[in-house]
Amino acid sequence: MTRTGDDQILVEQFKQGDESAFDKIVKEFSANIAVLANRLLGWPGEVEDVVQDVFLAAFTGLKRFRGDCSLKSWLFTITINKCRSYRYRQMLRLKIFSRAADKDSSLSACAADQRPIDSEIFERVRRAMKTLSPKYREPIVLRYLQELPNEQICRILGLSENALQVRLNRARKHLQEKLKDLIE
Amino acid sequence: MTEDKIKNLLQVADRAAGEPGPTHISAAAIRRHAGHRQLIINIAAPAAIAAILLFASIIVIQAARPHKPSEQKQIVSLQQELKHLQVKTDAVLNLVQQVLEEERKTQRLNDLQATLASIPDPIEETQRQVDKTAFILVYQADRLYRQSNKTDSAVQTYNQVIKLFPQTRWAEVARQRLSEIKNKKTDKTNLEGEQIWKPQSV
Repeated sequence: MTRTGDDQILVEQFKQGDESAFDKIVKEFSANIAVLANRLLGWPGEVEDVVQDVFLAAFTGLKRFRGDCSLKSWLFTITINKCRSYRYRQMLRLKIFSRAADKDSSLSACAADQRPIDSEIFERVRRAMKTLSPKYREPIVLRYLQELPNEQICRILGLSENALQVRLNRARKHLQEKLKDLIE
Repeated sequence: MTEDKIKNLLQVADRAAGEPGPTHISAAAIRRHAGHRQLIINIAAPAAIAAILLFASIIVIQAARPHKPSEQKQIVSLQQELKHLQVKTDAVLNLVQQVLEEERKTQRLNDLQATLASIPDPIEETQRQVDKTAFILVYQADRLYRQSNKTDSAVQTYNQVIKLFPQTRWAEVARQRLSEIKNKKTDKTNLEGEQIWKPQSV
């Protein structure tokens, strides 16, 4: 049986009241969702709140899931929406508590110091990604980090193929400008 | 070419960032959280509606009131004072009415006492009438005896006075006259002299 077929069975079991099916869904997708959220949010490291929100929304809305796309794509769509909300909340919080934000930023940099890669390169890529607006960052993450096919990205983001290509081009151009010396 | 470099750079950075922290997400916790959220929604929504209705009703009530709360309090206190004054006034009026009623009663009693005082004592009046009647009888008897020489009629009248009014002093006078008449008759027969008898004045 294919992966998608297994997912559909789990969804059907959940719709019929078998809550153990949701346990299996959480177990199967929580890691992938955590990784995606981590990338979408610019590698903050702690994404548990977002993952919990994603599965909370999934628990509430799974009975309305029609199976038009794979369960993974559906969960990724929820994750993207939750990350947008999370970033929006973070932005408001940063505006209010700018000092705390600076402290948080320095903590992230310290974490990066412990990695084998040069901390300066990591920090520059991270900052470049953060300067991208969500509408450009999300295609980049799904395309180059999640390595999803364009068709699936289009379905997740609700974009046409052309719109996706336009966004990817603009995002690449932006990153190229920001990371010119590293790319060359 | 540039796309590959960008992809490579991003993947290097992603590996450097490492895996996200361990997520302790469990389906049970999600279900519990969803239940709590639903409970909050179930409670919060009616509570919010009730609060809004309460707030609106308070606003409506406040708007309907023509006076401010302080003025309202003053009015209430004035109304209470007015009630106290009314109670006091009623009490004073009752007292005045009671005093006037007492005065009227006293005046009426005085009048009755005066009227009663003006009424003569019937016993005394009766006694006086009895005495007067006895006097008149004695007086008429004296006139019969001395001016008309009707000694028998006079003796009969004296005897009536003694019989009818024995307790009066005129009964005693009548006895004296009868005694005098009797003595005079005895003396007349003995001395044949005539004595002139004069009745005593009353």
